[in-house]
Amino acid sequence: MSAPILVVAEGSDGRLGGPTLESISVARTLGGGPVIGFATGRAANELASDFGRFGVDRVLIVPNLGSDAVPVGVHANAVAFAADHVGADTVLFGGSIFGRDLAGHLAVRWNAAVATGVIDARRDGAIVEVRRPVFGGRATETRRLEGPHVVLAIRLHAFAAPSEDPGTPLVDVVVPPPVLPALLAPRRTSVEPSTAGAGPSLGDASIVVSGGRGVRAAENFQLVEELAASLGAAVGASRAVTDAGWRPSSFQVGQTGRSVSPQLYVAVGISGAIQHLVGMLSSRVIVAINSDPSAPIFRVADYGIVGDLFQILPALTAEIRRVRGS
Amino acid sequence: MEIVVCIKPVPEAETRLRVAPDGRTLDPEGVKFVLAGYDESALEQALLLKESLPGSKVHAVAYGPAPRTEEVLRAAVALGADLATWVEGPPGVGGDPVAAARALAGAIASVPHDLVLCGKQAGDDEAGIVPPALGELLAAPDFGSVVDLRWDTSASRLTFLRSTEAGGERWESPTPCVIGLQQAWNDPRTAKLPNILKSRKATITKRPMESAPPGPRSEPAKFELPPPRTGARMVEFKTPEEAAQKLVRILREDAKVFP
Ligand SMILES: Cc1cc2nc3c(=O)[nH]c(=O)nc-3n(C[C@H](O)[C@H](O)[C@H](O)COP(=O)(O)OP(=O)(O)OC[C@H]3O[C@@H](n4cnc5c(N)ncnc54)[C@H](O)[C@@H]3O)c2cc1C
Ligand SMILES: Nc1ncnc2c1ncn2[C@@H]1O[C@H](COP(=O)(O)O)[C@@H](O)[C@H]1O
Repeated sequence: MSAPILVVAEGSDGRLGGPTLESISVARTLGGGPVIGFATGRAANELASDFGRFGVDRVLIVPNLGSDAVPVGVHANAVAFAADHVGADTVLFGGSIFGRDLAGHLAVRWNAAVATGVIDARRDGAIVEVRRPVFGGRATETRRLEGPHVVLAIRLHAFAAPSEDPGTPLVDVVVPPPVLPALLAPRRTSVEPSTAGAGPSLGDASIVVSGGRGVRAAENFQLVEELAASLGAAVGASRAVTDAGWRPSSFQVGQTGRSVSPQLYVAVGISGAIQHLVGMLSSRVIVAINSDPSAPIFRVADYGIVGDLFQILPALTAEIRRVRGS
Repeated sequence: MEIVVCIKPVPEAETRLRVAPDGRTLDPEGVKFVLAGYDESALEQALLLKESLPGSKVHAVAYGPAPRTEEVLRAAVALGADLATWVEGPPGVGGDPVAAARALAGAIASVPHDLVLCGKQAGDDEAGIVPPALGELLAAPDFGSVVDLRWDTSASRLTFLRSTEAGGERWESPTPCVIGLQQAWNDPRTAKLPNILKSRKATITKRPMESAPPGPRSEPAKFELPPPRTGARMVEFKTPEEAAQKLVRILREDAKVFP
């Protein structure tokens, strides 16, 4: 019997989030031993039973980490303990900021080979071979990770959610050893909602609509936001926009802003400078709307509209609302 | 405050990527290496903190082979770093970030460090592994995706905003502490010519390469470039409404990106 694979849960409202569902899919295809869930925090029990929806029949929980807001090193201590407790050889995290930070910790704590941003993983004896985009999606590397312990953080949106296979998992409570007091000294003082308004946030949206200098003024950015709203998309911007103060820097996509890899990226009035491209090239489908047919963005886009955004956007927003019946 | 900034030499953003003859990594031949994008911001943040806290020092630390590692350290000195340490690493590209973190942690542990600043992820490997691994190795709390970092003098604490998928979280933390910075400054300073000249003679402390401890291994096996993009399929139209209808049909039926 091969060693188990531990999948670390993240979720809200007691439901496993998209990143965790993707890691369950990867765990299944990776093969090897059984998939075991791991959950912590106040909603640990709900997350544990949600694992049951996907045929995970055993879940370890650490109900209490000391507070619901502790530095990631405290989580790593708990995950490493749980991984050893069940004799796992592989730990999987979802493609969230939390998952990636935790992967780096666990690699050291659990003395494991590690890769983040994984879009493909297969096992070959004691070796796990992964593929991951590098250089802002301009290249893909394959890495060979040598066990006995391997830690992977999946790239968001790279895998489909697993099929359902309902059951009731066995839940074990484990109590990890205490952490160094220094790790408990930082305090979270507040939580702020996303500045991007009502829609999904840039980091985890499956559709992103970004505006550039072509939008010409802060107030016109509303056209971009309306298109995004019709698609249920997050709003992004080029640096020309954030530099001009039309939108805050948290909107910026690119080398010195956010990297995104949604299913669909719509670039509106963006020329396609390399510093912008490296933040969005690994999107699955790229659409560009630009009045200049020679704009470099058309070289990387899958579909292009050469036109005036002030005419195209309202028509596009109306058409999407129409087909979506809203 | 003693501020350590970890800077990684990475290929310039505009570099034309080529596959090395062995097919495993980027071909480093002829590539110009510069400070990684977020590291430039991390250095700028360090210099701003130093300017607001008299008596502070900024110490740039980099791990990697000659000559690129020494070059980025000289660039950091030209920008205003007071000290520079080069931890010698093996030649080539595509190394394991955990090995980098272990080498860096060895150097950092032996010098004063209240704050260790990193970029949140390097523009080449995009791993985002080194900052959390450093937190673990230095037994200090660490925080990634940080923007708006400040020092609260009255409370002797760092305060900062972490950007998360759901929005942001404000934190305060005593030092020592490791920070992975995500902030983009619109105008990080540029080095002045006299400082560039001076930096050529600056002392760079060199720590020899240590033999790799036995442990988990992660090796590059293949480096692939996507097939050249053929360019966008252009939507032909006479009216904006026609453009919209055609695009929406393509996105639903061909690209299947929404129902
Ligand atoms: C170190 C460094 C880091 C950087 N980091 C980033 C980064 O993280 N993100 C980033 O985005 N940039 C970054 N940049 C800046 C980058 O080089 C470009 O300057 C920037 O991306 C340009 O933004 P833009 O495409 O919106 O503007 P422009 O290049 O000015 O393009 C505007 C486009 O709008 C089109 N347009 C104009 N009017 C209309 C209309 N009515 N309808 C349709 N189209 C129209 C034009 O044809 C043009 O193509 C960085 C630069 C440096 C040096
Ligand atoms: N070889 C290195 N030398 C110095 N700092 C590094 C090195 N590798 C990574 N770092 C730091 O860690 C950050 C994240 O790198 P990475 O984990 O490779 O994505 C970088 O932005 C640097 O601040």
